[in-house]
Amino acid sequence: MNISVSNHLPGTPARQPQREVLNVKGLSAGYGPVRVIHDLDLVVQCGERIGIVGLNGHGKSTLFYAIAGLTGWQRGSIKLNGGEVGRMRSQGPGRYTHEIVRAGLALIPQGDEIFHGLTVEEHLDSGAYTAAAWRDRAARKLRILEIFPPLRKLMDVPVGRLSGGERRMVSIGRGLMTDASLFLVDEPSLGLAPKIGKSVINALMAVELGNAAMIIAEQNVALLEGRVDRVIGMHVGKLKGEASAALALNVYRKA
Amino acid sequence: MDIWFIVSNTIVLACIYGTLAIGISITWSSLGLLNLSYGFIFAFAGYGAWLFAQHVSTWGPAVLAAGILSGALGGVIICAVGFIPIHDKPNFTIRGLIATLAINLIGTQFLLWWFGPRSKNLPEIFGNWSVSLSGAVFTADKVGNVATSVLILAVVLRWMQSSRRGLEIRAMMMNPHAASIVGIGVRRTSFYVMGITGGLAGLAAVLLSQTYYISPFGGLMPMIKGVSIALCGGLGSVRGAVIAAIVLGFNEALTGMSIGGRYVLVTQFVVIIVILLVRPRGIAGLLDKAREA
Repeated sequence: MNISVSNHLPGTPARQPQREVLNVKGLSAGYGPVRVIHDLDLVVQCGERIGIVGLNGHGKSTLFYAIAGLTGWQRGSIKLNGGEVGRMRSQGPGRYTHEIVRAGLALIPQGDEIFHGLTVEEHLDSGAYTAAAWRDRAARKLRILEIFPPLRKLMDVPVGRLSGGERRMVSIGRGLMTDASLFLVDEPSLGLAPKIGKSVINALMAVELGNAAMIIAEQNVALLEGRVDRVIGMHVGKLKGEASAALALNVYRKA
Repeated sequence: MDIWFIVSNTIVLACIYGTLAIGISITWSSLGLLNLSYGFIFAFAGYGAWLFAQHVSTWGPAVLAAGILSGALGGVIICAVGFIPIHDKPNFTIRGLIATLAINLIGTQFLLWWFGPRSKNLPEIFGNWSVSLSGAVFTADKVGNVATSVLILAVVLRWMQSSRRGLEIRAMMMNPHAASIVGIGVRRTSFYVMGITGGLAGLAAVLLSQTYYISPFGGLMPMIKGVSIALCGGLGSVRGAVIAAIVLGFNEALTGMSIGGRYVLVTQFVVIIVILLVRPRGIAGLLDKAREA
């Protein structure tokens, strides 16, 4: 196994097996007096696809928001690509989010975090925040359209007029417009018809990760079954138990 | 003749107030800041243009540019002093309101202390000519006012439609939370927004100075009108602000002609209240095709 990170020349395409994309240590976060995440540790290697499963209100979305710096307060260390992005003191939510996003985070939020007056095309443009992504955004948009063909006809339509499934496609497409190193996908199948939800998950699985990693929070374990590298349970603000895909599959068969 | 006078006055007023209202509307919806220091920026830009005319050049376009630039400078200063320190604190809307109001009061007192109470006069920017067209007389300042404000507004709106920064500003206007998720920094964008809206205030200040004078408190009335037009158009909607500016400009011209200029504010607020009673979201409520988020 080659862990010699120092041999890697800056500027060359990164080819580092076992590099840590995300390293969370002792993270607590919440809103006002409410503490949602309790001393949570999580390490994500590059190339990994991880599923986080858990019930409503147990902190899956808050974990993602804490990584993005969007919770009311948080403490603990969050290292993204080796750089510290966690903050100890309470801060205005979202004050540093754009810097974290520039450091390589793509958050695909749950529900309708969209700009309802922008067209689908402008939406995809707005996802291309790095200079390089902005320059070849045309090619990237074509790639998104290959993943989500239904969007092709809707490019000039304001997103506020789309259906729920189409909005979710736009939201995910916006997150996929950059070369982020960590994709956080929050409940991709929530509120969608089963067939559409399945095709959205298929699209996420089809994304070539390369050196990036992807965490998918999902309530429907069956959708992730055997398709992610690890499944982690989340219960009252803590990560409980960890299972590889094979193990999860095994348990599923016994049950 | 009467009709033409009302129509031309309506258009001129609509252009100037529309410029102010669009600035206030953009600031409100993208930064969540009801910028009550707009009156100060207005006066500040007026004095900037006056200083330029006194010491550098009296060439019209240059004076206009100086006014716009000093307005933009004023906007950036207000952003650094009144927006950046408090924008992520709780209760920002009220705090921002009070902070900008305080800046307005302090700033106008400062202008009064520095320049004195005597109002200043800008040189004529558009020359002194007039065109007569089938009974209607168009004077230079009217034609110039309309042409300049329409041109500059068109350029600004075109820029907001087509450029990357414009996309950022529009995204922030629609959903600031989602904007931070896609990597749009509030603080950097706020400087663009305040610079541009300050520039629009500067434009309005120079244009209005062709009819009135520049004085420390000269920005108060335009600001009140700008805020109420922005409210009437539905805060956050550029098209709504334009339509509201036309409606209220017409109201002002009509009131001035029929029952006297001092009743303008009375009739104006009656019109605004009636519009808001019928359409609580302002005129934009009629235009918005998207579903509510």
